[in-house]
Amino acid sequence: MMVSANRFRSIGWIALLLVCAALVMVMAFRVNALRSQVHRTEQQIVALRKEKLYLETEVETRANQQQLKLWNDVEFGYVAPTASQYLSNERQLAAFAKPDGPDSPEPIRVASADDAIAAEAAFPSVIAGLAADIAAPVSKSDDEEDKPDAKPADAADRAKATANLGARLAMVTPLKKDGKDDKPGKSKAEKNSKAKDGDKKAGLAKAAKTAKDDAAKPGKGAKLAAGKTEAKAGKAPAAKSEKSAKSAKPAPKPAKGGSKSAQ
Amino acid sequence: MNSLTASAAIATGRVQLANVRQGALVTARLRALWIMVLFIFATLTACVRIAQLGMFEQTPERTSLAEALLPSRGEITDRNGIALARAFASYSLWYNPKAMGEGGAPLVKTPEEVARALVGIFPDADYADLVARLKAGKPCYLRRRVLPEDANKVFALGEPALEFPREEQRFYPQGSLAAHVLGYVDEAGKGHVGMEQVLEPRLLDPAYRGTPTALSIDARAQGALEDELGRGMMETMAKGAAGVILDADSGEVIALASLPSFNPNRSDLAYNDLVFNRVSNQVYELGSTFKPITIASAIDAGVVTDLAVRYPSVPFQIGKFTIHDSHNFGSSLNVPEALIHSSNVVLAHVADLLGPVALKHTMEQLGMNERPTIELPARGFPLWPRGGSEGGKGDWARLTTMTVSYGHGIAVTPLHLASAYAALVNGGIWRPATLYKVDPAHLAPGRRVFQASTSARMRQLLRMIVVDGTGRKADASGFRVGGKTGSAEKPGANGYRKTSLIATFASAFPMDKPRYVVIVMLDEPQATQQTSGQRTAAWNAAPIVGRLVPRIGPMLGVTPDAHHDVDISDLSPLVGSGEGE
Repeated sequence: MMVSANRFRSIGWIALLLVCAALVMVMAFRVNALRSQVHRTEQQIVALRKEKLYLETEVETRANQQQLKLWNDVEFGYVAPTASQYLSNERQLAAFAKPDGPDSPEPIRVASADDAIAAEAAFPSVIAGLAADIAAPVSKSDDEEDKPDAKPADAADRAKATANLGARLAMVTPLKKDGKDDKPGKSKAEKNSKAKDGDKKAGLAKAAKTAKDDAAKPGKGAKLAAGKTEAKAGKAPAAKSEKSAKSAKPAPKPAKGGSKSAQ
Repeated sequence: MNSLTASAAIATGRVQLANVRQGALVTARLRALWIMVLFIFATLTACVRIAQLGMFEQTPERTSLAEALLPSRGEITDRNGIALARAFASYSLWYNPKAMGEGGAPLVKTPEEVARALVGIFPDADYADLVARLKAGKPCYLRRRVLPEDANKVFALGEPALEFPREEQRFYPQGSLAAHVLGYVDEAGKGHVGMEQVLEPRLLDPAYRGTPTALSIDARAQGALEDELGRGMMETMAKGAAGVILDADSGEVIALASLPSFNPNRSDLAYNDLVFNRVSNQVYELGSTFKPITIASAIDAGVVTDLAVRYPSVPFQIGKFTIHDSHNFGSSLNVPEALIHSSNVVLAHVADLLGPVALKHTMEQLGMNERPTIELPARGFPLWPRGGSEGGKGDWARLTTMTVSYGHGIAVTPLHLASAYAALVNGGIWRPATLYKVDPAHLAPGRRVFQASTSARMRQLLRMIVVDGTGRKADASGFRVGGKTGSAEKPGANGYRKTSLIATFASAFPMDKPRYVVIVMLDEPQATQQTSGQRTAAWNAAPIVGRLVPRIGPMLGVTPDAHHDVDISDLSPLVGSGEGE
């Protein structure tokens, strides 16, 4: 019994040893297979690099300075730009916009972009807000029904322009740092998403804030104007909700993305 | 007895049994120990192998990859990384007579037919030579460096004996561009003439040859310089031309051309007279281009303090020689006028006042008494005038001082002149010219030759020569070029030859803050229709600079500006009107 137990144990040991050896061998094989694969890939890399060098050299040879010069002489006839074709500073550039003399006709503009919207969008919150503030008492209840329609359209345009401006200038500097205080311009959808997020982490805030601020800025002016009309006409709340929804048009997209990332 | 034996037998049996048991136990333990040792060994081996695989195995593979891509000879690039010379596996045309087996004709067609077809593909090949080689029946190269399309054409001939082994050779993608800077590599793989020779140890060193070596050359500027020089040479039917563009502050050679040039890709043909570098190896009497150096030396030494002072400009005799001007400029000239009209007489007077010691010192400071400082192996030794005393090492004679003042009696390379002009305009610091790209933070210390104020004055004077004087044709609009023409007669068997000139224009731009010095030289230009029947530098060398600068300026970071110029208003009133050399 003792002997068989001993033998059993030694057989066990041998089996374990064999299993280990087999595992090592399997791994060695796999490693070798992988290594030869790497080697093959490296050979491919070498061949491709050599091919690349070959093609590069061919292009360089065909387009060498002397060849380019010959082509230029025969085909293109390019000459070095003269001093008059250079502008050294912005003043020289601006000088082109100056009329040639008194009473000279306006220069002909071949193509133009309506930059009024963009210019307005650059300073929206304060100036637009004040403008609306001042404009509201002057234009009384005569055109109350038109106004809510006109204003949101205007605001939406500005909002769109702001969003576009950001894309065009590749940067949007939020005028207000804290998104919390932007109550006037906030849409319901936004509020909901905010409520969902709950904890309002920093990662989300950054993405959503710019969009929120953009939406808020034009919204604020519109809201102030609406606030005045509200006092006079009971219709206003409906207009307000419609307006704020419109004004927040560009907002949902980034906000959605933001909440997604937060989840 | 029986019982005694029996008991003894029992006793021994017991003892034996006990021994057997003990022996078996020992064997078992030993075996267990062996197995344990083996097991531990195997485990350790496995661990070691795993560790080895995990940590050390990949390095030899990586080096093999790097080695496979390591060129046989390092690449040379220009300052912007454009390849100027690289190791390249190109096709050769190899004749293997045994390709169709031993015995029998090595070629399908006759050698004459094959040779004719080869000449059809390679027009510059020698028919008789090809026939001779094909008939000889010995394996040999018929041609090195065959273009792929030509190789295809040869392949289409259907001759198995014509083979195309791909061999690593030196290839210059830009052709003959900067040939004198680069040099060439011969069939044995040895570099000659230019940087191929200088950089040879580095280009072959396995530690460095993987990374390209950047030269200070700018391939675009080099191309423009060679193009404009070639055009100027053709228009004037000159024997040769030389040009150099030097960074005025760092001494970097941006372009260096010597025409006619050679094609380094045809190393079998490269070793001929054309490898001679006119910029760094040939010395010339560069004539009037030395005048600004003399004036700068005089201003620096306090000899010329007032530029309005007038000097006699009538020819005068000294010893056997008469010093005279090319034209008559009236009885007297001041220094700006003397430079604008290029008056030898006034310069001789100024040099006489300056004295041999100061002028010689300036010339020595500008390195005119030694080979030009550049990496190229071919550097000419100047013809430095011997002094009148101390076995030729003493002060110059009075006449020597006078002739040196207007660039005669001293012969230097155009590169000497370029370095001197850089010192003249950059604030007065002379720096050695270099073909290596220099980090602006690690400029060579250089040595001060002129005061900064002298340099500022010289910038005005050089600009005036271009605005009002002989260099007018070099005045590229907006580039504020300043410079001096020089047309020196070449010495012949019987004194100077009137019709063999060296026409030089030494210039720098932009003069309000000089960035580049441009030297252009034509060897024996002829009077042609393009040069209005003139053979002096004002008509042939200056226009080359006038065409070259607008081409290279914007590429080298100099923006033309017509509203900007060096202020010469304080000197303008000193200059009358007149024509010079």
